[in-house]
Amino acid sequence: MADRSKLGMEFPVYSIRVEKNKIAEFVAALEQKDDTEQIHPLYRDVDAAKKAGYENIPTPPTFPTSYVFWTGGGLLGTIKAVGADLSKLLHTKEEYEYFAPVCAGDVITRKMKVVDMYERGKKEQKSRYMQVTVLETDMINQRGELVIRARTTFMERG
Amino acid sequence: MALVFDKVQIGDAMPPYTSAPITRTHLVRYAGASGDFNPLHHDETFAVAVGLETVIAQGMFIMGIAGQAVTSWIDHRWLRKFSVHFLSMTQPVDLNDYQNTKDRATITVSGKVVDKYEENGEKKIRCELTVRDAQGSRKLKGYFVAALP
Repeated sequence: MADRSKLGMEFPVYSIRVEKNKIAEFVAALEQKDDTEQIHPLYRDVDAAKKAGYENIPTPPTFPTSYVFWTGGGLLGTIKAVGADLSKLLHTKEEYEYFAPVCAGDVITRKMKVVDMYERGKKEQKSRYMQVTVLETDMINQRGELVIRARTTFMERG
Repeated sequence: MALVFDKVQIGDAMPPYTSAPITRTHLVRYAGASGDFNPLHHDETFAVAVGLETVIAQGMFIMGIAGQAVTSWIDHRWLRKFSVHFLSMTQPVDLNDYQNTKDRATITVSGKVVDKYEENGEKKIRCELTVRDAQGSRKLKGYFVAALP
C-alpha cells in the first residue's frame, strides 16, 4: 500500500530531450502502423510540420506520458518511491492541461509531486477498499515556460 | 477545412474513429514507444499471477487512440485540456480465435460538443468523449477543451 507519509513528496527533477524518432515511434503505435513511414506526415516530416505552422515536428497530446516513463526509473521507480504495489495498481484517471506546444528538439524538465492520497471504502471490506494516489507533474521547456501540467490518479486494490 | 469557433454548434458530433483490433504486438509497440513497461501489458505470466485472464492494454494507449481521434478533427495546438477516466480493461485480440475476440479489442471513439464559451480572451469549445469497444463496453469517458480561431 502506498505510504501516506509520502503526501506532498516531491520527486527528483529530471530532464529529457524530445526526439524526432521517438515522436514517430509513438504515433506509429497509436495509429497501429508497422512502419513510421506510414504515419501522418505532420509527425515525421519537418517540412510538413513547418507548413502546418509548427517550429518543428510536434508531439501528440498524450506524448507527455513518456517524459515520466523514460526518466527517474520509469513506472517502477515511481511506484517504489510512493511505496505502492505494482500487482494491485489500477490507473484510474489522467488529465493534461496544455499551455504551449512542445516540438522535437525541446528539452522538457519534469517536476512531479504527490498532491493527494486518500482511501475509498472501508479497510474491513477488502474487496471494496482502495487507496488513491494523485501525482501532479509540471513539464517545463528549455526557456523555463510551463508547457504542460499532468495529473495522474491511480488506485491500489486492498 | 479548418474548424472555426463560429461554425461549431453545441450538439455537433466529432467525426467517429475506429481502431484496428488491438494485438499483443500493438501493446508491445506502445510499451516501447511510451516507456510503460508494466508487465501487465505484455507478460501473460504476470497478468495471470495477479488474477487476470490475460494481458490488458495500457489505459494510456486507449487514451492515445482517443487523442488521435481528437487531433484528426482539431489541430492539437488548439487543445487546452484533455481529461479521461478509465472505466474498464481492454483485452487484445487472440489471433488463434480472431472472430470471437476482435470486437473486444476494437476501439471506437465518439464525441459531442457540449459547451461554447469565452475565457481568458479565447473562444473555447468543450467536447465530451465516449470510448467503447465494438461490443459496446465503455472503456473511458472524458472531455477535451479546445480554443478555436
